[in-house]
Amino acid sequence: MERRRVLTVFVNSAIALIAGGLSTVLGAFALRPSRQENAGRWLRAGALADLTPNVPVPRVLAISRQDGWYRQRARETVFLVWDGDKTVHALSATCTHLGCQVRWDADSTRFRCPCHGGVFDVQGAVVEGPPPRPLGRVDARLDGTGTDVLVRL
Amino acid sequence: MKAVFDWLQSRTGFRGARHVLLDEELPAGTGWFFTLGSVLLGLLSIQLLTGAFLTLYYAPTPDHAYDSVRFIVSTFPGRIVRGLHHYGSSFIIVAIALHMLRVIAFGSYKPPREATWLSGLALLALILGFSLTGYLLPWDQRAYWATVVTINIAKLTPVAGEFVAGLLRGGASIGALTLTRWYAVHVIFLPGALVGLIVLHLVLMRRHGISGPVRPRQGTPVPFYPYQAARDTAVVSLVLVVLAAFAWGGAPPLEGPADPTDSSYVPRPEWYFLGLFQLLKYFPGKWEVVGAMVVPGIAAGFLALLPWIDRGPERDPRRRPAIIALVVAGVIGICTLTTLGWRDRPAEGAIADTWTLREVGGHVLARSAGCARCHGSDAIADPLEAAMSSRGAEWIAGHVGDPEMIAPGLRQPPVARPEREVAALVAYVRRISRQPYPGFPQRTEVAASVFARFCVGCHTIDAEGGSDGPDLSKIGEKRDADYLRGLIADPEAVDPKAEMPSFETRLTAAELDAIATYLASRK
Repeated sequence: MERRRVLTVFVNSAIALIAGGLSTVLGAFALRPSRQENAGRWLRAGALADLTPNVPVPRVLAISRQDGWYRQRARETVFLVWDGDKTVHALSATCTHLGCQVRWDADSTRFRCPCHGGVFDVQGAVVEGPPPRPLGRVDARLDGTGTDVLVRL
Repeated sequence: MKAVFDWLQSRTGFRGARHVLLDEELPAGTGWFFTLGSVLLGLLSIQLLTGAFLTLYYAPTPDHAYDSVRFIVSTFPGRIVRGLHHYGSSFIIVAIALHMLRVIAFGSYKPPREATWLSGLALLALILGFSLTGYLLPWDQRAYWATVVTINIAKLTPVAGEFVAGLLRGGASIGALTLTRWYAVHVIFLPGALVGLIVLHLVLMRRHGISGPVRPRQGTPVPFYPYQAARDTAVVSLVLVVLAAFAWGGAPPLEGPADPTDSSYVPRPEWYFLGLFQLLKYFPGKWEVVGAMVVPGIAAGFLALLPWIDRGPERDPRRRPAIIALVVAGVIGICTLTTLGWRDRPAEGAIADTWTLREVGGHVLARSAGCARCHGSDAIADPLEAAMSSRGAEWIAGHVGDPEMIAPGLRQPPVARPEREVAALVAYVRRISRQPYPGFPQRTEVAASVFARFCVGCHTIDAEGGSDGPDLSKIGEKRDADYLRGLIADPEAVDPKAEMPSFETRLTAAELDAIATYLASRK
């Protein structure tokens, strides 16, 4: 009976080890890519000369993102807002409520979302409506010569 | 805990299933030789599992298959999973061979186990089908060209050759339809059939009991679990550890992306098909069908009929000398053919010798053409050397001519380049996607760049270039460097009837010197 006991323990633990090792490798393999993030790249979004102080200007940028083995090309709209001096900031045009594209309403100087009435001010802060957060900030800076606006997407 | 299991037992009767699966009584003397079936079962389970997980990332289209496989092996767990799947297939072939030899040596196919034997042969055929279809999926050079050979062999099928080849191809030529077809067969049809046949094989084995030692031994039968199970587990664990070591130690080969236009590629099959590959060489011309179909057909027929050829109840191999001798001769034959096939490979010249002048010229142009503005280790796109483009020539030509297409927002798009430079860049990019740049002396590089930009329009070297002017492959036999330098600089001064334009102003002195010296060295 002693021999039977030893063999049982050997068989069960060896199989548990194999199953455990295999599950670890396959689990890591299955979960791996979801944790990868796209490093943003600086893209030229427009010339400073085309901007008017505190008037958001929409720019549609073509971006190419590595999606696993696939290089995906997408278009994304950002609003460039110049403070009239040395600073430009960029706002994502995607409404933080349900993802519609907001528009700039020059008369009321507000961003308005066409879907559910979300309203944002020129800084992207929520003024009224359902959006839970301000419009997303996109990193923006002037290039070395100070004539072009670069954004990181 | 016991209460939970008792409840489960009352609702499912799982203890009965456990009893049926594990408590089979085995004849005394069942030993280590009877572990090979379990080894196969273990290895096949690994294939099913790793294969299922590989489909999470694999994309069966000519445009993406190669990139997706490269993506899989770019991560550590991916490299291990593909390694297990790749090397596992070879392990299975070895395990099958040993399992079959054990069955033959012990006469285990004798009545009443003929059907078990036949179901095993069907499993062997399925597994060869797995090897064949799986080989294509990475869509690299090996995969593509091995499949070309396979389909051409299928054309040798008597009467229905074209039909069979068309069935395998799916479309008019090897391409997208072939790939999806073989993928579907590899991951849906064959695994379904495999699982069904394994169940049949095991049910038949249990129905007749295992054959056991060739002569009944004294002693009481012992249950499978844990006694024989311990032997099985020990051998299976050992095999899996070796397999894991293979997967850990070396990434499976992945050559350059499939290139149907590359006529220089010499395809070779996976090692376990090398014997068949070698056999074909002994049956040239119209006799090829003998090597491709008749000899393997006779071998398969012999195996299928073995229980009826080797009659009589005697199972001891020492008392069945004729059959054992025949099988040993067959094994020696297969091993010999495999070894010969292994050795009989085309001599691989130095890699540098296989680079054409245009490809070398493309390398020089790529350095000066501004590719590095976007292709660099910290730039927007991967360095050219690491890009391993799986794109076709047309795409690369378009990209070189119009980078705006792929790099929108570029401030100063590179200028359009002349046709010949584009051709040289395309040749170079295609080449480095298969093989790293070997490096050449600077003078050769300069000469190559001159050749690729100018001479190639009219002159040919090594079968590459135009035909308006003379072939320059062996020009060094007739002319020396000084003569060539003068001729290239001002053709009419050397030969008043020359149609070649003067290059004195278009080439720098160093370039002129390099191309003249290079040409003079061509002998």
